[in-house]
Amino acid sequence: MALEPVFGIADWVIGIFQTLAIIVLAPLMTGVMRKVKASSQKRVGSSIFQPYYDLLKLMRKDEVISDQSSWIFRFTPWVVFAATATAALFIPAFVSFTPFSIAGDLLLVVGLFGLARFFTMLAGLDVASAFGGLGSSREMMMSALIEPALFITIFAISLTYGGTNVSTIVSSAVDATIASSAGIITPTLIFASISFFIVLMAETGRIPFDNPATHLELTMVHEAMVLEYSGRSLALLEWAQSIKMAILLTLLVNIFAPWGIVSAGQPQQLGSAILIAPLILAGKMLIVAILIAHIETRIAKWRLFRIPDLLAMAMSSSMIGVIFFYL
Amino acid sequence: MDFPQFDILAVSSALLLVTTFGVVVRQGFLDWLSAYRYQAIALSAVTAIIAYVTGIWEIYIAAALTLAIKAIIIPKVLTFVTQKIKLEVKIEENPYVSLRLSVLISAVLVALSYFLVLEIPIKSDPVVAAYLPLSISLFLIGLFIMVIRRMALNQVVGLLIIENGLFLFATALTHGTSLIIEIGIFVDILVGVIISAILLVRISHTFDTLDIGKLESLKDS
Repeated sequence: MALEPVFGIADWVIGIFQTLAIIVLAPLMTGVMRKVKASSQKRVGSSIFQPYYDLLKLMRKDEVISDQSSWIFRFTPWVVFAATATAALFIPAFVSFTPFSIAGDLLLVVGLFGLARFFTMLAGLDVASAFGGLGSSREMMMSALIEPALFITIFAISLTYGGTNVSTIVSSAVDATIASSAGIITPTLIFASISFFIVLMAETGRIPFDNPATHLELTMVHEAMVLEYSGRSLALLEWAQSIKMAILLTLLVNIFAPWGIVSAGQPQQLGSAILIAPLILAGKMLIVAILIAHIETRIAKWRLFRIPDLLAMAMSSSMIGVIFFYL
Repeated sequence: MDFPQFDILAVSSALLLVTTFGVVVRQGFLDWLSAYRYQAIALSAVTAIIAYVTGIWEIYIAAALTLAIKAIIIPKVLTFVTQKIKLEVKIEENPYVSLRLSVLISAVLVALSYFLVLEIPIKSDPVVAAYLPLSISLFLIGLFIMVIRRMALNQVVGLLIIENGLFLFATALTHGTSLIIEIGIFVDILVGVIISAILLVRISHTFDTLDIGKLESLKDS
């Protein structure tokens, strides 16, 4: 797969634009998902711009920090936001490559998420409130199970597309769809997509794993860890959470449904396609968001000790994907 | 780099495996019954693909019969016959092997059957190459499910998965046995399911449980 895009000024502009688009539009996507969820539950729901209003309000508010907390507590929101925003650099959104991908691959994205999660867990423990410790211990249990499933999934994907680099993966996927439009429907990718979807729900704390809207003490996982935060720190954490969701959704649709992404292999279409590609991406992400909202409406949060069952399904699904590749 | 080609045989076998795992992970009686319905639909689609690839029209009839009997009649009959059984004995709450482990072991069984078939030095057509390991893995998963379930009613699903595996085995390997035999087998499985369900209703009336661990102990009165 000799895809060596020459990185001119235009490529860098596109790359930065993609990253900024993910970071800026992530709260909007969260708002859309909340709206879809509300309407599937026969509620009116808040405006789709509500997450922006929340962020602005939180930015202006004063912060309360426990005098028992250490520097980790103050440091964490910035680390989490920086790590997540850095991960957004490596994600090709509507052009099949991103110039920053020379610096890192999918494993680095997972590593950055891991760093963010590690600091969130430390901050949960740092203030020594009962809920923080509880949330941290649950998050540790879940992440220890999410990561093997995610790595086998990445393994299956990179076997199919020849590399762990996100640009390589998405470019190969786009080229495969150009070669034949059903070219990417292989057993390996079917199993990998099931596994990736379960991992996505777990990573972003959607309903079978964790309820993102809860403030009921006994069921929360992520919310328990960030319970002590207020003001600007909380705004950063919530924004980082939206960006993480946007990154994983973009990866999902770009790897498993790469129709309509601008490929570097067809420069003659670049001008027109670059205008349509963001719309196609938004449409695909909207479909997945509606799917997730309906799943969240239809099923209840699972008991904490049943969550390993779901992650075992993800793990075995990606294992079978790898087996199918080697046949 | 050569891109993966769209291979209808491989993709359909993958979908059948997905639906099979859907049956494995369901614990309640009505839950696995609806999952089994999806598996039957996938099996009928696979049978239709075999008919399309080989060009034998009789297999289309077998596919239609699969859809009618396994996706509609058997679930309806099972629901009807067992509606008198108490709800709490229908749910598999405490199987011998936990759910997460059974999913992983099923994946290992799939791997095992694929590698077993790779070891057999036969020259065969693509239909056999795609569906022979799949039918063996369905057989092994069904056997495994039957062994690990504690409630007798939920062991029926193992039998049904094994039967699906055998049906696929026969259809893929022989490109359709004669139609009269197929119909005989379908009626056989239907009657078998009805008889086992009625037997289970009797057991649940007599012993007040379907837990096979408790059936061994002598009843004192």
